[in-house]
Amino acid sequence: MTDIPLGDAAPAAPRPARSILETDARTRARNRAETRFRAYGLAALLVGLFFLVFLMSSILWNGLGAFTQTRFALDVELLESELDPEGTRDPAVIAKTSTFGYGDLIEAALAKAVAASGIQTDLEPGDLADILSSGAAAQIRDRVTADPSLVGQTVSFDLLASSRVDGYIKGRVTRESLADDKNLSPAHLDIVDALVADGTIARSFNMAFITGADASEKRPEEAGMGVAMVGSLYVMLTVLALALPIGVAASIYLEEFAPKNRFTDFIEVNIANLAAVPSIVYGILGLAVFIQFAELPQSAPLVGGLVLTLLTLPTIIIATRAALKAVPPSIRDAALGVGASRMQAVFHHVLPLAVPGIMTGTIIGMAHALGETAPLLLIGMVGFVASNYPDGALHGFVSPNSAMPAQVYEWAKRADPAFYERAWGGIIVLLVFLLLMNLVAVLVRRRFERRW
Amino acid sequence: MNDMRLFERAAAVDGVKISAKGVNVHYGTAHALKDVSVDIGDRLVTAFIGPSGCGKSTFLRCLNRMNDTIPSAAVTGRIELDGQDIYDRRVDPVQLRAKVGMVFQKPNPFPKSIYDNVAYGPKIHGLAKTRADLDVVVETALRRAALWNEAKDRLHAPGTGLSGGQQQRLCIARAIATEPEVLLMDEPCSALDPIATAQVEELIDELKQNYSVVIVTHSMQQAARVSQRTAFFHLGHLVEYGETGQIFTNPRDPRTESYISGRIG
Repeated sequence: MTDIPLGDAAPAAPRPARSILETDARTRARNRAETRFRAYGLAALLVGLFFLVFLMSSILWNGLGAFTQTRFALDVELLESELDPEGTRDPAVIAKTSTFGYGDLIEAALAKAVAASGIQTDLEPGDLADILSSGAAAQIRDRVTADPSLVGQTVSFDLLASSRVDGYIKGRVTRESLADDKNLSPAHLDIVDALVADGTIARSFNMAFITGADASEKRPEEAGMGVAMVGSLYVMLTVLALALPIGVAASIYLEEFAPKNRFTDFIEVNIANLAAVPSIVYGILGLAVFIQFAELPQSAPLVGGLVLTLLTLPTIIIATRAALKAVPPSIRDAALGVGASRMQAVFHHVLPLAVPGIMTGTIIGMAHALGETAPLLLIGMVGFVASNYPDGALHGFVSPNSAMPAQVYEWAKRADPAFYERAWGGIIVLLVFLLLMNLVAVLVRRRFERRW
Repeated sequence: MNDMRLFERAAAVDGVKISAKGVNVHYGTAHALKDVSVDIGDRLVTAFIGPSGCGKSTFLRCLNRMNDTIPSAAVTGRIELDGQDIYDRRVDPVQLRAKVGMVFQKPNPFPKSIYDNVAYGPKIHGLAKTRADLDVVVETALRRAALWNEAKDRLHAPGTGLSGGQQQRLCIARAIATEPEVLLMDEPCSALDPIATAQVEELIDELKQNYSVVIVTHSMQQAARVSQRTAFFHLGHLVEYGETGQIFTNPRDPRTESYISGRIG
């Protein structure tokens, strides 16, 4: 009800009459500024988009090869005289023959296959076996020890080709590049060409890359992500089980119950700071506290999960507090106004409304943790540890393992270029998981979002 | 201030529901409410009027201890509900708020169904033993809030889907579902159009048969229409309190007269 002077406020000077059809200089300048600003924004967007496309295409270009593998269909005669001279078919007796004992059988089978393809070669049978993976003998032995009745028969095997042959089929290895290579000679490639022609050597989908374990540096063709994936799964389970309840409880306390004083301000500032601490610091903290002090096992996904929980907590707390803050205070008032206690107001009304924000924050924090490498390396979850699946579901938490990003790092630093391809392939697997998690975050948001 | 005490005595009512004596409220260093003493009658509508920031909402929020939720607020003085100090150490504000319900300025239904909105209070206070009891409680509250006819076919539709006036009546239904003895209303019509306002005012008039209603309003016409007692607040002081007719026709304080005639505020 303020007084508004009406009569005595005469305009100082009459404005010059102007048509609205012509724009003045000031308006034109403003319009130009807006156009420029839009152009900057569009340019920034295009640069970002370009890098994204570049990144994705290089990942796919380098990594898709890991999802196919060259295999050798070979009929191997499992001679009774070599494997089970007494004819007992006793698994214990058959297990006595080492992988070395299968070498002659493979060489004989190879020589037969080469002869069948009609190509003449002066390579020794021993050298000829270089086109097969050095793990081929173990592949056959595993099957024979599992099923002793195969001894004495001729069994057809789908054996892995060596990584050089695989590289040749995929175009990574050429005759020129083999000049300096002791593992394979151009003469081998002539045989490979002939065997490809008659269908003995073929490229097929590489399930072993997704389900397999890491292999030694000599056998990149056998290496797979499976065990590291299981390691990541256990790490993530630990993170979820610890970080979500602790983070949400801490946020609810800080946001809804804690008195606003210097102490809570101090905690708040420190949580924000923790979110910016380099991850390797958490790694060395985990090494000191969990392994050296608490004497938890090395390389265990449980310890990895504990370390990544510390890393994820600030993210979850910040996201949860933001989600709680975003719930309109009128909802709290309404609940308190009908006589709800503080806790009822939070758990019946505020928290359900904050769930989409909390879930998104948690999933993004988990995705961050899933891609984290440095702290895992410090607590011993390095890539080459991931060579065996854990014995049981609960063992998964403590049996030495690695995680997907550490596995990728391990492959990337190995010398054989075949591992390089697998590192890129590992990145694709990792990205698929991250995309899935983000998809879940979006769906959760859609599902739980409520308007008020 | 002595002269004001006189008016209060003049306006003393029989059947005092809430009695406030020497209430002061500080928000940090700001002194928001200065030595307010008032008796609020049972089964009457009491209106608090005054310009923005005069302390009327602050005082209203003292009556059910909603100010407890503001960390910087400090309340001194004595407020009695039926002769018992509501700021006594033994009083649980949660129990108090079940007796002294509140309706807010902006309609704030929970983002749940109409039924759940009304049923929430009775549920947490254990007022209904069975689902059938609860249905009865919800229906009674909605009928009293004059919302039953509009809502009975859509009890399980979200409360936020109602119109503004309906939402406010839903909030009133929610508040009376817990069977309070006093109903505090903080500018309940400020977000409503004239038709919805008229409906809510009609409702307030009916509610006074069962409850003491305290309403904060910016509209002097509304205060004149719905209330039997009116208190005028200015700059944290209770300037004048008396029969509504007397306040609007024959104010004793010059500030009251200036305000109701539109010269200040």
